[in-house]
Amino acid sequence: MRVMAPAQRRPELCGPTPLCPPVPAFLEQTATNLACAHCGDACPAEPLRLAELPFCCAGCRTVYELLNASQLCTYYALGERPGLKIKEVELPGRFDYLASEAVQAQLLSFRSAERGRLTLHVPQMHCTSCIWLLEHLPRLHAGVVEARVQFLRKEITITYLLADISLPEVVQLLASVGYEPQITLAELGAQPHRASHTLYYQLGLAAFAFGNVMLLALPEYFSFVEDLQAGFGRFFGYLSLALALPVLLYSARGFFRSAGQGLRQRHINLDFPISLGLASLFSVSTFEVLSGRGAGYFDSFTGLVFFMLIGKWVQQRTYDALRFDRDYTAYFPVAVTRLTPAGEQSISVQELAVGHRIRVRHQEVIPADAVLLRGAGQIDYSFVSGESTPVARAAGDLVYAGGRQLGGALELEVVRGVSQGYLTQLWNNPAFTKDAAGPTLETYANRAGRYFVALTLLLAAGTLAYWGPRDQATMWRAFTSVLVIACPCALSLATPFAMGAALRVLGRHKLYLKNAAVIEALARADTLVFDKTGTLTDPTQSAVQYHGRPLLPLEKQLIATAAAQSTHPLSQRLARELATEALPLATCQEYSGQGLKATAASGQALRLGSAAFVGASAGGPALAPETSVYVALDGEPAGHFTFRNVYRPALPAVLAALGKRYRLAVLSGDTDAEGPRLRALLGPAAELRFGQSPADKLAYIAAERAQGHTMVMIGDGLNDAGALRAADAGIALTDTLTNFSPACDAILEAGELGRLATFLGFSRACLRAVLATFVLSLCYNAVGLTLAVQGHFTPIASAILMPLSSLSVMVVATLLVRWAARRYHL
Amino acid sequence: MTIIFLLIGLSLLVALVFLAGFLWAVRSGQYDDAYTPSVRMLFDDEAPTEPTAPVRRR
Repeated sequence: MRVMAPAQRRPELCGPTPLCPPVPAFLEQTATNLACAHCGDACPAEPLRLAELPFCCAGCRTVYELLNASQLCTYYALGERPGLKIKEVELPGRFDYLASEAVQAQLLSFRSAERGRLTLHVPQMHCTSCIWLLEHLPRLHAGVVEARVQFLRKEITITYLLADISLPEVVQLLASVGYEPQITLAELGAQPHRASHTLYYQLGLAAFAFGNVMLLALPEYFSFVEDLQAGFGRFFGYLSLALALPVLLYSARGFFRSAGQGLRQRHINLDFPISLGLASLFSVSTFEVLSGRGAGYFDSFTGLVFFMLIGKWVQQRTYDALRFDRDYTAYFPVAVTRLTPAGEQSISVQELAVGHRIRVRHQEVIPADAVLLRGAGQIDYSFVSGESTPVARAAGDLVYAGGRQLGGALELEVVRGVSQGYLTQLWNNPAFTKDAAGPTLETYANRAGRYFVALTLLLAAGTLAYWGPRDQATMWRAFTSVLVIACPCALSLATPFAMGAALRVLGRHKLYLKNAAVIEALARADTLVFDKTGTLTDPTQSAVQYHGRPLLPLEKQLIATAAAQSTHPLSQRLARELATEALPLATCQEYSGQGLKATAASGQALRLGSAAFVGASAGGPALAPETSVYVALDGEPAGHFTFRNVYRPALPAVLAALGKRYRLAVLSGDTDAEGPRLRALLGPAAELRFGQSPADKLAYIAAERAQGHTMVMIGDGLNDAGALRAADAGIALTDTLTNFSPACDAILEAGELGRLATFLGFSRACLRAVLATFVLSLCYNAVGLTLAVQGHFTPIASAILMPLSSLSVMVVATLLVRWAARRYHL
Repeated sequence: MTIIFLLIGLSLLVALVFLAGFLWAVRSGQYDDAYTPSVRMLFDDEAPTEPTAPVRRR
């Protein structure tokens, strides 16, 4: 049984807070409908004013003043409600670690004697106004020379003068206008996102060669210019060869490399027959040109490469602002305050060693497993487990890394290195290194490619055997054209175009996939595994229940008024639940990590908090695992409130739909108290496992996969990271996209969980669309091969068949997916 | 008809100029961000109504 108590959030107040104002501000807030001039939130009854404009808090007003003084108020004119509510957290020295030489060396992408440049991730930017304000930073401070925003990546590149402004000041400047950059361990050493230009270069080169070679090949296709051909044929041929050579050497390099990699792993992928086809196409053409027999197939060759590169490009477009590869380092801080006999010292987290004493302040993340030495821990593990209620820890307790401290500063002694912690050692599991070994799931395209190779080689051999005794010249022509036509270009285009279209459809509905292969994994899944807390349950909601002697209306009022004073999530929840009129309070004191004590004006005393604080017997009436808050009135324990997780409202419907088709399972880190409820939701066949550690979850997924099941894991916290990684497709659920989500294959917005069954059905339809397009492209190949084995496959036949098949496959694949999307109402 | 050699040479040269232009555009990062410039170009370069020195914060 966990007992939690309200705690305060403001860091500067470590002891009991002073008296409350006689009328609590919290309950007044509904009295007004004035919108804050900065952030647009509703203002309290007596808003702060500045030149007649209302503001909800001092933070907002400060930003407005700052922008106003610098003539930057266009900010408010561009977008609707651009302003970001300024959090009260203002800790002096929060960015001091950025002054350290080691940190700067890793963060700055450029540095000269007078200038520095760096790229920062600012997840808060969301509208035109944000771009405008951030790019006008130089007006706020002369030391900033230039600021450029990359909106889709949510990055800002800042150039500043080292003499005028320091790095901590630059970051402080951003934070002061509400755009505090996210600087985490993962950012260190990672230079600004450099988009790969290679594909664009390859594409441009192939397009250039394709256009020109096609023009040069045109005379050959029309017999009326035969005399022209006689004079210029050789010249055109050599020219085409010259143009096609860079395409072979540069643009087509990716296909050859991928085929070679496949072969080295004793694995034939779709790129192998493509490379085979391209190589034979090029060598046959070169032979024809050099021996003066004709102009060769260079137009088909360059065209093929061009179309297939387009396919790659379509498939490669991903979501810039989302990151699918985040591990714990993306969440851990860069620096930590170390306590040494000489005083406080800011050191990089990587330097942290066992035995170090560290100080963790309000809102800071605990970077390593440590023993709490001093202070009241109120640790929010929502990023780890999805559970949003803070956990109380007292001196002497072991605190796991990854939690965020709320409340006063803590002193801790590190007991395990950063990478050896309970949570972080998950990343040492081999599941996290498997990526290099290539796709985990054999795609249909690759399997089709393998049959294709076998068939082609068989046919080519047959052609040799048939024509050999009859006609030597036809034999070579037929043999080479079989190899040429066997290039499964149309086949290779089907997947990228269908999957590319599907990615966009799903992206519109807030399921963001890492790449196209994920669709195939989703379509072939037979088992869905859910995490409980934060995934099936809604972390922002909980059902409150009261157990104990009945409360009088006046007592309820007192509890609600007192609870509204605390910023602790449970108190806030309680105040919302009771929602009564405010009662004048005589006193109100909050004891961090324990509870709160209040006296009404009428003299009635209230204690609200943990069992020990209130004086109730801890083992008392509630043995349930829910979080409880105890109440004592006038020194007499009255009862307690329990907070129960609430399942997402869409859950019963979607689970019922999924249960018909899939095996379902739930892996929870909690106790089995929720077992019966989950059983009712998921049905009798579902596998329910409780008390699962992150490593257990990973092991379960791996074991099921080993038995041949295709697993989809749906989770949210860092403790699911292993399972998400081990599964064929790991879907991370997130409430806000800019928030942290662990490494995964797909990110789903939590509100869309109810459409999971639709998404899975759609991905199956997409896979069927790919297979249908395969059939179409195989028809083209069959036509081509019929011509080829007879020796009738001329350059002109190739010039017609290749673009026709490529283009029609592109169109059909896209249309089929669009049609499927319409059927699923996506 | 030998003029054809010259014409083809010239047309290829023109095409090469366009290719070079494309490669330069990619290299200079114009394909990296296809969104922000479309917003940026709509910002007015309004002159400050009163000459204010940029505010210096501590």
